[in-house]
Amino acid sequence: MGGKLIKLIYTLPAVILISLFIKTENGFAAQKSVQMNYRLKWLFNASVVGDLYADANGFFKTRGLDVTVKEGGPERDAIRELELGYAHFGVASADQVIRALSKGAPVVVIAQLFQINPLQWIHRTEKFNIQQIRDLKGKVIGVTYGGNDETIMRTLLAKEKIADNEVTLFSVRYDYTPFYQDKVDLWPVYRNSQGITIASKLRASGEEIGYVNPAELGVQFVANSIVTSKKMLMDHPEIVKTFIRALLAAWEESLDPANREKSLTLVGKFDKDTPRVHLEEQLAVTRSLVKPSLKIKIGSIDTQAWKQTERIMLDQKLIPERVHVERALKHYIR
Amino acid sequence: MLLRRIYQFLIIYLLGLFLLLVIKYALNLSDYVIPGPVEIWETCRETLPRYFSDVMDTLSVAIIGQFISIVLAISIGVIGRQATWFGSFVKVAAYNFQAYPIVAIAPIVFILLGDGFISRLLIAAMICYFPLLLSVVGIMSEPISDIEHFYRITGRMRWQLEVKIRAFENLSKLTTVIAGSATLAMAGTIVAEFIAANAGIGYSIRIALYQSNLSKILVALFTIGVSLSVYQGMLEMAGYMINKRWKG
Repeated sequence: MGGKLIKLIYTLPAVILISLFIKTENGFAAQKSVQMNYRLKWLFNASVVGDLYADANGFFKTRGLDVTVKEGGPERDAIRELELGYAHFGVASADQVIRALSKGAPVVVIAQLFQINPLQWIHRTEKFNIQQIRDLKGKVIGVTYGGNDETIMRTLLAKEKIADNEVTLFSVRYDYTPFYQDKVDLWPVYRNSQGITIASKLRASGEEIGYVNPAELGVQFVANSIVTSKKMLMDHPEIVKTFIRALLAAWEESLDPANREKSLTLVGKFDKDTPRVHLEEQLAVTRSLVKPSLKIKIGSIDTQAWKQTERIMLDQKLIPERVHVERALKHYIR
Repeated sequence: MLLRRIYQFLIIYLLGLFLLLVIKYALNLSDYVIPGPVEIWETCRETLPRYFSDVMDTLSVAIIGQFISIVLAISIGVIGRQATWFGSFVKVAAYNFQAYPIVAIAPIVFILLGDGFISRLLIAAMICYFPLLLSVVGIMSEPISDIEHFYRITGRMRWQLEVKIRAFENLSKLTTVIAGSATLAMAGTIVAEFIAANAGIGYSIRIALYQSNLSKILVALFTIGVSLSVYQGMLEMAGYMINKRWKG
């Protein structure tokens, strides 16, 4: 009895290991419906409407893909998950991609979701307007130290040779009180999420707001894009192509004004805390950032903007040397 | 005692690092997922002085926070040891207060008190005080019958004497708990800094996370571990000396 038990203890892990190996080796080829994970960058809200839409309306299933759309968050990193095999596709910001490339991560960009970076600065228009970079002089500007917004703001300031002592940088956290109290002139927000909430509160108290969009001041810093691993692209190019086509078709459909109601109902199911009126505005702004004009196809990769993003990170010593990011961009949409 | 603490920490840290590197090379992971030894070393050379100063900042808050929590836990423990209605009320209130997760309370603290020193101190004390309280209540509620009986039948028992007897008889337990609570005070301060403060090693870790820089986090963990080992070693030595002096 004891001997059998010992045998079982020795055999069981081996069996589990072998079965795992077989599953890995068989990979996608042995399965009819391909099971994959798609890790988002952030929580389920209006800014991921296309991803939710694809899942809910069977865009993947009808193409033979079994995709689990997984919520992101501050502690999630899609690129790491790709490398560790926990995800097959993911959403990552451009700076994440460039940092990962500079450390040898085998990651490729297969579509760029946001054509305009939603990260902008909100301000009260009755106090001032920012038409050009030098208008930032003398202002108290919120930045998240270590975050993208710090990088973008420092690039703007450097572009106009504005010294550190000509502005006051204010460390930003989740609490907007310093901005509501008017202690800070410009506050970084995601234009299509917190931006809407803050703006509505200020408008309710009779204040008018505006946004500083770095792209309009000449600084293009790419935001979220869809990524996969080099291995996935090389071993399963057809799956990658099918996935990206399914996903971008869903994005197109979800942002089509004709499907507005359907998209809003869907987002409302996941984001229960945001009032309907805010969701409507968030969806409209997301549309303007993902598809700023009819000419632009959703998912198009703006190579020049990626190159500028890399240059910015290089100038700010966030990466030690060039990574030639353009080599990691795979243009499925032209 | 102090040296033993430090080298024990170094063994654990190096084992952890070794395990990470084994995983990295076994799975052929890039430096983005797990940094290589050269990158870790270079990051260590670049950031160690700055992180050391950050850790000292955090440790100073943790020490004050721990002191406050010791005073608080002993005060509540002494009141709560009584089998009276008020004693039980204090105990229930203290327990209920701890039932709320600190990470949920911390943002409120930061909104009300700002992101400076006081908020960090308060959160450190809040995280540290409960285990201390449990031990103090446990120790203080347990009569030392052999000794207390004499004072009771002679009518000389006062609450101060009762507390002294129980503390003296459980001195080694108390000093061990106090030394152990240093870890909690440090963890509490780091959590506070991570959530909202503008200084300390928790704040630096948050920035490193924004930059997906695991090497910096490994260096931060090293500085935290070394500093905490030294502090705990010192507390243990102090406890040992107090025990020796009181009990001979």
